[in-house]
Amino acid sequence: MKKVLIANRGEIALRIIRAAKELGIKTVVAHSTADEKSLPVLLADEAICIGPPPSGQSYLNIPNLLSAAIVTGADAIHPGYGFLAENATFAEMCRDHGITFIGPTPENMRALGDKATARKVAREAGVPTVPGTDELTSVEEAKRAAQEIGYPVILKASAGGGGRGMRLVHTEEELERAVQQAQEEARAAFGNPAIYLEKYIEEPKHIEIQVLGDGENVIHLWERDCSIQRRHQKLLEEAPSTLPWETRKAIAEAAARLARHVGYVSAGTLEFLVDKEGNFYFIEMNTRIQVEHPVTEMITGIDLVQAQFRIAMGEKLWLKQEEVEVRGHAIEVRVNAEDPEKGFRPSIGKVETLLFPGGPGIRVDSHLYAGYQIPPHYDSLIAKIIAWAPTREEAIKRMERALSETVIEGPGLKTTIPFHQKVLQNAFFRRGAVYTNFVARRMEM
Amino acid sequence: MTPKELKQILQALVEHGVSELTLETPDYKLTVRRGGEVQVVALPQGIAAPAAPPPSLPTPAPTGVSAPGNLAPAAGAPGLEAQEAKGAKEAKDECAGCVEVRAPIVGTFYRAPAPDAPPYVEEGDRVEKGQVLCIIEAMKLMNEIESEVSGIVKKILVKNGEPVEYGQPLFLIQPL
Repeated sequence: MKKVLIANRGEIALRIIRAAKELGIKTVVAHSTADEKSLPVLLADEAICIGPPPSGQSYLNIPNLLSAAIVTGADAIHPGYGFLAENATFAEMCRDHGITFIGPTPENMRALGDKATARKVAREAGVPTVPGTDELTSVEEAKRAAQEIGYPVILKASAGGGGRGMRLVHTEEELERAVQQAQEEARAAFGNPAIYLEKYIEEPKHIEIQVLGDGENVIHLWERDCSIQRRHQKLLEEAPSTLPWETRKAIAEAAARLARHVGYVSAGTLEFLVDKEGNFYFIEMNTRIQVEHPVTEMITGIDLVQAQFRIAMGEKLWLKQEEVEVRGHAIEVRVNAEDPEKGFRPSIGKVETLLFPGGPGIRVDSHLYAGYQIPPHYDSLIAKIIAWAPTREEAIKRMERALSETVIEGPGLKTTIPFHQKVLQNAFFRRGAVYTNFVARRMEM
Repeated sequence: MTPKELKQILQALVEHGVSELTLETPDYKLTVRRGGEVQVVALPQGIAAPAAPPPSLPTPAPTGVSAPGNLAPAAGAPGLEAQEAKGAKEAKDECAGCVEVRAPIVGTFYRAPAPDAPPYVEEGDRVEKGQVLCIIEAMKLMNEIESEVSGIVKKILVKNGEPVEYGQPLFLIQPL
């Protein structure tokens, strides 16, 4: 591998450039006209414009991206996250053109791509999933299933989403009426009364396991706790979690087993819900590098993006499971150009004053520079600030110190930093009492 | 209009998803466009950015908001597309009033339909709207690029066999 085309933008494009430079691989950034003056474009060895601002015509434009790789002589493509990162067809087309796709195989992606298939594969590998039914045909069937699974259960519309047609049921007495209501709501909302039943996990933690595979061997790099979310958007992540050692080990081993079962190649993440008793349920796998990968890098000392490159070049895993050492605690906050005071509304503007934090244990992954105009076409992530310290308490203090140093200012520009400062001060957060509805319940946001 | 007023207008456009606005007063005329697929844009002199901004940061983006009456299109303003391409400024300097034909896709530029065939056009040729000017090969497919105007080919900006990026100027055509 001599030259890599980066089919992405923003901080992750920069992260990939950094990894490639250290490995002695030349970089080409494929960019839209809106990103002409972005930091990745300025720092890459080469840049090539692949389309207008809308991502459908640029960052998702497969013919233009492949042509860009061909005309620039790139022999590999790194897709980053989002955009085409989990598109099996794109990975296949790269292979057909003799271009190395830096990520899992198309077969890996298809085996784990949609939730239903992934659940089936998980069961084959003996990894627990959230217990549930197919479409219900009668109240009697619902009663039997609920008894077997155990209350509380949740009824969901088969066609659904967004909470419509959902009913939480705590006892059998409530069930019959709830089934009728859920069916009516589903019919009204989606024109289809079909519903199914699932175990309701109360106040779960969102725990995900980082894995690395070479097609034969798979190792896990322990977990990240991503429970601090708002409307399913992760805002703050940390590693390790505050779960007991036995639970952490059991989840991590289950994740590695599942990845091994599909012959997983490259870096990937398996997401789990963990209830208060420490039961864990696999939900889905992300077949890509993730936004929050730095927290794992900080506690293991393993460069995950470079690992992706090395695996893509055919190298077999150079680490055994017992050689993966965890040191200390790391926290990442996602600094988004959003106004937390106004419902996290996107806040577009020009960065006029910029000062990132520094000092011991601080890492910043960001594509900002003073004078940079944040384009309105893409997601609002503008910086990731990561704090490492020997213990969780010290990492929280260090993050507070780092955020107090940070200046990202411009006319009308708001960021999520004030929100993160509140999270860090929250007593429940401080003692590790975090779960996926933390922001709604403890922050009332 | 003050820079602050202009900013308020621009923010309102972004917030409400308006893609185009024309505002006319006795003092000035302002036209603002967001995003879109504008392929041929006549930039006011002096607003186009340097072809490759040096990596010595910070790089102030041009704002172009100081002189009322000279505002359209407002390059570098919040949420707007400057639509500058590398080499565009130099090319425009050579032929005022010329229309740029830009690459709509990424690929390899060919002036002729086959290696031994004569080029589609030479500098100085007269071309009609819709006439094929060149081919861009992308993923083994030959894409014919047609002229958007009738006129004289003043300049061919790319050499045969060179790679081209999206939006790169290929020809300058003096409309007739």
